[in-house]
Amino acid sequence: MHSYIRPNSHIALRLPSGIVKIHKIVPNTTINIGKFGTFPANLLLGRPYYLTFELLDKENGRSKTELRIVPASELHAEALGGDHATPAESRDDSASAEGGAEFDIVGDDGEVIMRSNRLTIDDPSRQTLAMEEIEELKKAGAGSGKEIIAKIMASHLGIDEKTSFSLAKYTLRKSKKYLKRFTVLPLDVGLLNEYVLDKEGYKIMDLREESLGLISSWANIHCADASRVLTADDDIGQIGGGRWLVIDDTGGLVVAALAEKMRILYPEEDEEDQTLQEGEDINQDQNGEGDSAEDAKELQQETYQNGTTPPKSDPETKETDPTSPTSTTRIPSNPPPPPCKPPRQHIPQSTAQTNSLTVLHANNQPNLSFLKYFGFDTGNPTTKHPLYHNLKSLSWLQLLYPHEDPSYDEPEVVADDVLATFKSSKRGNYYKKRRRWERTSRIVNETRRGGFDGLIVASAMEPASILKECVPLVKGGGRIVVYSPNVEPLVELCDYYSKDRRAAFVSKQMETNASINRKAVKEVKKEDNEANGIVGEDEDEDFPVNPTLLLAPSLQTARARQWQVLPSRTHPMMTSRGGAEGYLFTATRVLPFEGKVEARGKFRSKKRKTGADSSVQA
Amino acid sequence: MATSPSPFLDPGTHSAPNSLGILQLRRDHLIPTVLSSSTDSDYVEGKVENTRFGSFPHSTLIGQPWGTQILASVVDTGSRGSKSKKRKRGDTEGDSPSTPGTHETKRDIAKAAIASSGFVHLVPPTPETWTLCLPHRTQVVYTPDYSYILQRLRVRPGDHIIEAGAGSGSFTHAAVRAVFNGYLGEDGMFDSPKNSDRDGTNHILKKKRSRCGRVYSYEFHAPRAKQLRAEIEEHGLSSLVRVINRDVYEDGFCLDSEAGIDSAPDADVIFLDLPAPWLALKHLTRSRPSTAVVKSITTYSNPSTPSAEGSESSPQALPTEKLFRSPLNPNNAVRICTFSPCIEQVTKTVSALRSLGWLEIGMAEILSKRLEVRRERIGLQEEGLRGANASAATVSEAVQRLRDVEGRAKVFHGLQKEKQEEIMRRAETQKRGEKIEPFKEENKGKGKLYKEGRLVHRTEPELKTHTSYLVFAILPRQWTKEDEEKARKKWG
Ligand SMILES: C[S@@+](CC[C@H](N)C(=O)[O-])C[C@H]1O[C@@H](n2cnc3c(N)ncnc32)[C@H](O)[C@@H]1O
Repeated sequence: MHSYIRPNSHIALRLPSGIVKIHKIVPNTTINIGKFGTFPANLLLGRPYYLTFELLDKENGRSKTELRIVPASELHAEALGGDHATPAESRDDSASAEGGAEFDIVGDDGEVIMRSNRLTIDDPSRQTLAMEEIEELKKAGAGSGKEIIAKIMASHLGIDEKTSFSLAKYTLRKSKKYLKRFTVLPLDVGLLNEYVLDKEGYKIMDLREESLGLISSWANIHCADASRVLTADDDIGQIGGGRWLVIDDTGGLVVAALAEKMRILYPEEDEEDQTLQEGEDINQDQNGEGDSAEDAKELQQETYQNGTTPPKSDPETKETDPTSPTSTTRIPSNPPPPPCKPPRQHIPQSTAQTNSLTVLHANNQPNLSFLKYFGFDTGNPTTKHPLYHNLKSLSWLQLLYPHEDPSYDEPEVVADDVLATFKSSKRGNYYKKRRRWERTSRIVNETRRGGFDGLIVASAMEPASILKECVPLVKGGGRIVVYSPNVEPLVELCDYYSKDRRAAFVSKQMETNASINRKAVKEVKKEDNEANGIVGEDEDEDFPVNPTLLLAPSLQTARARQWQVLPSRTHPMMTSRGGAEGYLFTATRVLPFEGKVEARGKFRSKKRKTGADSSVQA
Repeated sequence: MATSPSPFLDPGTHSAPNSLGILQLRRDHLIPTVLSSSTDSDYVEGKVENTRFGSFPHSTLIGQPWGTQILASVVDTGSRGSKSKKRKRGDTEGDSPSTPGTHETKRDIAKAAIASSGFVHLVPPTPETWTLCLPHRTQVVYTPDYSYILQRLRVRPGDHIIEAGAGSGSFTHAAVRAVFNGYLGEDGMFDSPKNSDRDGTNHILKKKRSRCGRVYSYEFHAPRAKQLRAEIEEHGLSSLVRVINRDVYEDGFCLDSEAGIDSAPDADVIFLDLPAPWLALKHLTRSRPSTAVVKSITTYSNPSTPSAEGSESSPQALPTEKLFRSPLNPNNAVRICTFSPCIEQVTKTVSALRSLGWLEIGMAEILSKRLEVRRERIGLQEEGLRGANASAATVSEAVQRLRDVEGRAKVFHGLQKEKQEEIMRRAETQKRGEKIEPFKEENKGKGKLYKEGRLVHRTEPELKTHTSYLVFAILPRQWTKEDEEKARKKWG
């Protein structure tokens, strides 16, 4: 999917300083890379990723801006320090004097390096070329950035005192500053992660790539497009099917990472993508970000072209405007100008039965704003995006007390003939409400039935409060993964699942089994009638979660230590990002009780209200 | 779907015969077993799994919902007499089961009786569980490393990945999960099942055909290759993983065309866990590398190369007569990771990568650790309790005790011997009694220890401080003048 730079996608430009800029690449526009200048977006479109380009403009004697692809050999030569290859790289030609010297310095122990560094004088005044002069040079069109650097180097006092070791460093520093180069990288989850972490780590709970990798592995995330749709013994609840429950306070970064591995993140995911070709598919992409209304129109038109009419029997298409071709004859009083207002066909959202993510959110709407970089806007989703079908979302209120949410109550059904008398705006409204209800109730009901393959939590909320509600919704053998930037919340969580506590829970359960059972029967009946609140406040502070539902709860952390690898200068990076370390709680959902209720995530008579509770305590 | 799906990718709701299941005894103690309903066994109960937590006839393991707690059975290794079999899923987490519930099966194998203690959990296989319990033939790549590798290599469904050497197949299983997007059709492509097609509402979305994700796994040690192939077959992954018995230093990675895939392996991603990755790199190019470059790379190889696996291959330049074929996907940037324990290997690998035009070269090592969480109890009242520290918890507790001792000593010495002993005894009981309100008489001494003391965490006792260095690099698509000309025409 990142085989070439596609129009209207987001790309990342990395400048020599290491700074990354994100751009949406729109055809026939100009891309501005700050002080380096600007260039037409079309110079990048259709080109491959990971290439480094050098900007050539009138400074370099060009009449119009051009991009030169910098070959790998040139990049490497510079990275290795200066234009000369190091001994390791050039066994055939005679190693240059500097190369030999360099080898000596680093080949010795650390002290020697220190001494040679002490010989050099770190004094900016020794650089004879003033900033103004440099600017001058640039304006005069004296040549590429490299020539400037060469001049600066030549006029630098005391250059002979410098060992090639520090010279290499010096060259590198200068290159970064003046070379008008950039590398084009695909904006994938890894890059977005790095980008946000650098600037606003708090927005993603300081989540590092290491943690993303661990989360995906431990949650057993994979593409489950081909999974079977299997129901539980009662034929109602679904079990498995590659459905994961997610609580994401990272603005959608976690959802994006999971979606990437499920093959539902990139809009062009389904394209065969074998070759970078020919007009049609690329041009078609240009419309990739149209709003859903437009998409619907387009799709509808396509349907007509194929001579297909929306199936009348399908409940989802009931709302097809009566002004569709079949009915225009019947209502001649309202002849639509054909191209302007083609009737819409509604494509129901979040209907995927397998390979889906269900996001639970604490506000009215989920905050998944980072998905915009992948062409998906939760507020105005395009039907072309796989997430339109495979992402589902509901609020905590909808999960726990669905009847308190108005969108869960079925809006009144209006008969077709009555509907025909409605003004089109009123009718539109009616359909909108019906659809919203259909979607909400479908998502709420299927979520409450549970059977999820796993639960992934990256949330600022108290983990135990989440697990208490969500663990029962996970199928037996399913995976639980909780990420936290800090260790304390997870240490506490581990403690709630400790062996001692579990033992105490079990013995207490046995003690009070009889009385609970007696009360529970009554309770369940009451609850069924209410069909409401599937949980109550558990006042049992000692057992905020049922510790018998998880097997092998574990706590871990991982950090990647990055190294510099240069010939004879290989060592770990001197500095790296501090802050939150990032921890992971993992466990497996198990079925300690005989009983189908549990397996399907139907809530047991867990609503232990005061009455039941006192008997528990007794 | 013709064949039943792999239990790694779609385990179903219940454990099934002839499919892999994992018995989990402890966090790191797991036993893999292919469940069998066959009566062909020394035991009258059929095939039996014997563990330190008891014996588990397969008849008690088959047809259970995944995640079920299974109680051990009494299996008589000697006699062949029929026994009454009872099965149940325990409802306690203790080591001893409560009353058994009965469950009938129609097999003619003998029924096993519930043992008085012992249980396991039956969990579906995942790459993580498999990594913990696979039969080791070599060093393997564990979860913290492979999860970072797959993340950083951006391995995605539909990708083709080259892996060498396959070793014990730990990485193989993680890799196949990452590239999986469906089972191979006849032509190497498959029709992606759009859910929306099923209910017919989305007929407008064009049905698209995609490339099927695959793993190409190379191993020059014939018995290892054979064993891995058998495991892959047993795990229902054989249409997704191809195990090739080959020396990749010598013979590279290209394969004869197979069903619909002309240019296998057509790789997007490469993972090399070999003693001398640089010797394999010369085969991983987009065009024939110059002899000078090949020579310079292969001369790194000297006898002191840490070739733990005994690679005896002598590096050779590519035979120039043969038509060059690249094992890489020409339409994609190719990502690579090499995994080497020693820094000298890294230096050579990186140098070779540079000579061959790889970019974005970086190296990292993963430092991972597990943490233990426990309650640390300190205080005089802890005396005699396991896992606690019975020294004074605070200065005032220390002072108080000193006073007590002083005061008591005074009185004590004025008493007779019997009296003295009785006081001692009473003091002991008191120490515990003061602090703990037992909830039941029989629970005395147990109290609510699970919430006492200070909650602490620390690194696990045995720490892996080094696994290997991970070298990453990217080889962009080849971009010729003609390609550029084309793009320019199209986009200006
Ligand atoms: C450390 S093991 C790989 C472990 C594997 N990554 C895992 O996770 O289980 C290295 C393997 O590479 C194989 N090997 C070494 N040299 C090879 C070569 N030239 N071609 C193919 N395989 C080779 C060895 O036989 C050995 O099994």
